[in-house]
Amino acid sequence: MSKQISFTFNGVAVQCEEGQSIAAAVINSGTLALRKTRFGEEPRSIFCGIGICFDCVVVVDGVANQRSCLIEAKADMNIESSS
Amino acid sequence: MIIVIGAGPAGLAAAEAASRNGSEVALIDSASRLGGQYWRHRSTVTGYRSNRADLLFAKVKSAASITYISEATVWSIERDGELIRVNYLQGGSESSLTAEKLILATGAYDRSLPFPGWDQPGSMTPGAAQALLKGHGILAGQSVVVAGTGPFLLPVATGLAQAGAKVVGLYEAHSPLRWLLSPQALLLNVSKFAELIYYAGLIRKYRMAPRFGRVVSRFDKGQVTITSVNSSFALKRKRALTFEVDVVAVGWGFSPDLTLGGIVGCKERVDVDGTTIFEVDGDQLSSQKNVWIAGEATGIGGADLSLLEGEIAGLSASSQKISSILRFARFRKQVFADALKCSYPVKDGWRSWAEKSTTICRCEEVSLGEIEESVAELGAEDSRTAKLFTRAGMGLCQGRICSRNVSEIVAGLTKCSVTDEERIASSNRPIAAPIALGLLGDGKK
Amino acid sequence: MQSPDAIVIGAGIVGASSALSLTNAGLKVLVIDRGAVSSGTTGAGEGNILVSDKDPGPELTLALRSRDLWFEMQDDVGDSFELEAKGGVVVARHDDGPLLKLAAEQSQHGVTTQKLNQSSLHELEPYLHPDFHSGVFYPQDAQCQPMLAAAQVIRTVIARGGAFISQAKVTRIVVENGAVAGIETSKGVFRAPIIINATGTWAGELAQMAGSHLPIAPRKGFILVTEPTKKYVFHKVYDSDYVTNVASSDADLQTSTVVEGTRSGTILIGASRERIGFDGSMNYEILRRLAAQATSLFPVLRDVQLLRAYRGFRPYAPDHLPVIGEDSKVRGLWHSAGHEGAGIGLAPGSAALITDAILGRESFMDGSPFSPHRFATVSL
Repeated sequence: MSKQISFTFNGVAVQCEEGQSIAAAVINSGTLALRKTRFGEEPRSIFCGIGICFDCVVVVDGVANQRSCLIEAKADMNIESSS
Repeated sequence: MIIVIGAGPAGLAAAEAASRNGSEVALIDSASRLGGQYWRHRSTVTGYRSNRADLLFAKVKSAASITYISEATVWSIERDGELIRVNYLQGGSESSLTAEKLILATGAYDRSLPFPGWDQPGSMTPGAAQALLKGHGILAGQSVVVAGTGPFLLPVATGLAQAGAKVVGLYEAHSPLRWLLSPQALLLNVSKFAELIYYAGLIRKYRMAPRFGRVVSRFDKGQVTITSVNSSFALKRKRALTFEVDVVAVGWGFSPDLTLGGIVGCKERVDVDGTTIFEVDGDQLSSQKNVWIAGEATGIGGADLSLLEGEIAGLSASSQKISSILRFARFRKQVFADALKCSYPVKDGWRSWAEKSTTICRCEEVSLGEIEESVAELGAEDSRTAKLFTRAGMGLCQGRICSRNVSEIVAGLTKCSVTDEERIASSNRPIAAPIALGLLGDGKK
Repeated sequence: MQSPDAIVIGAGIVGASSALSLTNAGLKVLVIDRGAVSSGTTGAGEGNILVSDKDPGPELTLALRSRDLWFEMQDDVGDSFELEAKGGVVVARHDDGPLLKLAAEQSQHGVTTQKLNQSSLHELEPYLHPDFHSGVFYPQDAQCQPMLAAAQVIRTVIARGGAFISQAKVTRIVVENGAVAGIETSKGVFRAPIIINATGTWAGELAQMAGSHLPIAPRKGFILVTEPTKKYVFHKVYDSDYVTNVASSDADLQTSTVVEGTRSGTILIGASRERIGFDGSMNYEILRRLAAQATSLFPVLRDVQLLRAYRGFRPYAPDHLPVIGEDSKVRGLWHSAGHEGAGIGLAPGSAALITDAILGRESFMDGSPFSPHRFATVSL
């Protein structure tokens, strides 16, 4: 069993295994939509899963447009759907 | 030194082969683990003939002359006299590596086609469903539909079922008879029968019923619509079925990632299936001096072919002899790959799946209606002009997902075919990965 | 199209606005392009409509009138190309003397200028580096989406009886008795007594086809495009060094930052200038310099990511003035080219000048400083 860590997604605590991506952790916690689009405010989630499509981008500790499918969740990260 | 970019089957094979005579190799990859998209894994690789992966991982890890640089994203490549400089981002800073020789093994990603709802959460590529499962140990949903075309749907569907997902549908757009069109490919690759039998066993075990000639034509808040298509992929509207599902994983073969080879200036050409790929010679050498390319970027062919191409590229770059047995093995796999392209072509009928309001460019949220208007009202005649008018392909992914679709939609509207020049131009991306302006400026001479 | 009155070669913004102006004057106009609409320099531009970067002189007079004509053209064809008087803010990096002197001269020639001190500067651009303490605001500076503009203008020309033929490469200019008679293209032969060369960076080649000469060369520039961000940049903000570089004849690379936000949320960063022919390759060192300059203006941009970079070729004449007028050798061949990086801004003004000259009408200014005749004595 891997080490469990916790971070926040839009202010809500999410638990996951160390080494999981932000997207995997959030989706596994039961939230599929990772962000809303800029113009149409449509919900979006993981799509390509491998860092190509940029549809899963979130704000990681204040830095915008980070691909949540690539970035490993770290303890106490603050993840927001948008800034 | 030889820099190998990409640690999937082709890159691993290239690095291992080059290191056999002690050549210094730097293996750069953006992921935290070896294996690329194909051998994505958390502990040991599972699946058909996965022991090959563990063998190769062990060789690469133990080779003294291979330096493995993980979690490094290459954003640009420059020529510096006779040397090649690779600039990459790692852990929030920028570094460079310089070498005499470069092997690109940048792989491919799922090709996607737009249909109403393909941008909704829950709709994803088979690769995404597999990445979540193999890379992170999670299921994207409890019930899943796997659809699209090509043999990759089999490992994805069976992998999800083995992990406990309910695969409520497995839909191949083509007819199962297409394989019989190329008997010579199967005769040259008898081992493929074994693979087919392996997956057939799993499909039976998990009680999946693969259906042919059907596509996902709509996904709307957990409701999927499956519609029959004719041989050119046009929908037969009367034959549709709608039911609830958590995830639809839809893929239409693969698009190679051409970004880095494009930056280096390697010559591209359009493959038999309309995919833009790099031109290489028998040693996998590209049109650019001291730049070799192996794997999917020289033509979609799967892991078996990628391994052989990687090995040949690695041997050639390190000036070792390439046996004729190895060359023949690659030839056999190439015949198989070509048969595959012909057996699972993406037919033009897909252009009729999207509605006016359907998003075509996901990043900039450009709809089919806007693209149609740019052609009908503003006089766009090719994808470049349509892009300038609508911003399609100008977003974060730089057209990696939509540019081929936009080209083909515009071509359909103007009743032209997409020119090779246009296909090649749309893969031109001088900034391979986003880089913070602060880091970029700090690197100034 | 049967017997047009005039043929415009080039469907960039200069050709498009010339065609509209001639159409509105009652001529039947055929526009042809070897590619599609906006496939040359217009498609690689930022859409600058600037008065702030011009020294007093004929180009400024043209720029001021042209800027107003942009708004008239918008009314004429409909609001559909994101025209916006966003205003320019020019900041002085070191000594503000030269900037303030230029602004004072410009204001005597019809440019609205407003001197900015530390607090008014940072009120306009709150994310600007706090060290900048002096600048000038130019409310007339404007912006448009040039590709859309050219397309809308061409569409209007067609609606008013003109025609547009794309993908037609000119293979020959037919000259009879010292006057143009028509053109041969890959899509057929077209005859007209008036030909307008609006081919921008390629105008020299076209002049040569007619047996004439036009010294227009490409000056390469890069533009950086960032990811979409929060609104950090509110105007067109640039360093006063830019004005010096625009006017420079140095072939070497010059960079000076122009930073601006766009409607889609991205930030554009220009502008480098090099005269190295049509070399399309990417020069990462230039990108680094531009990024360093942009982040020194706006430190907040350090964390903003560069997404794309593209290059274009500005049509460049040795004296930095556009070439507008009838050819010095061939009657009926008119040039409107060589606008360098100011082609978008100067397009409708140039179109008015050339239309007035063709019709023999009096124009809003004396067009002789732009005449192609100024190169007639240059030895080849």
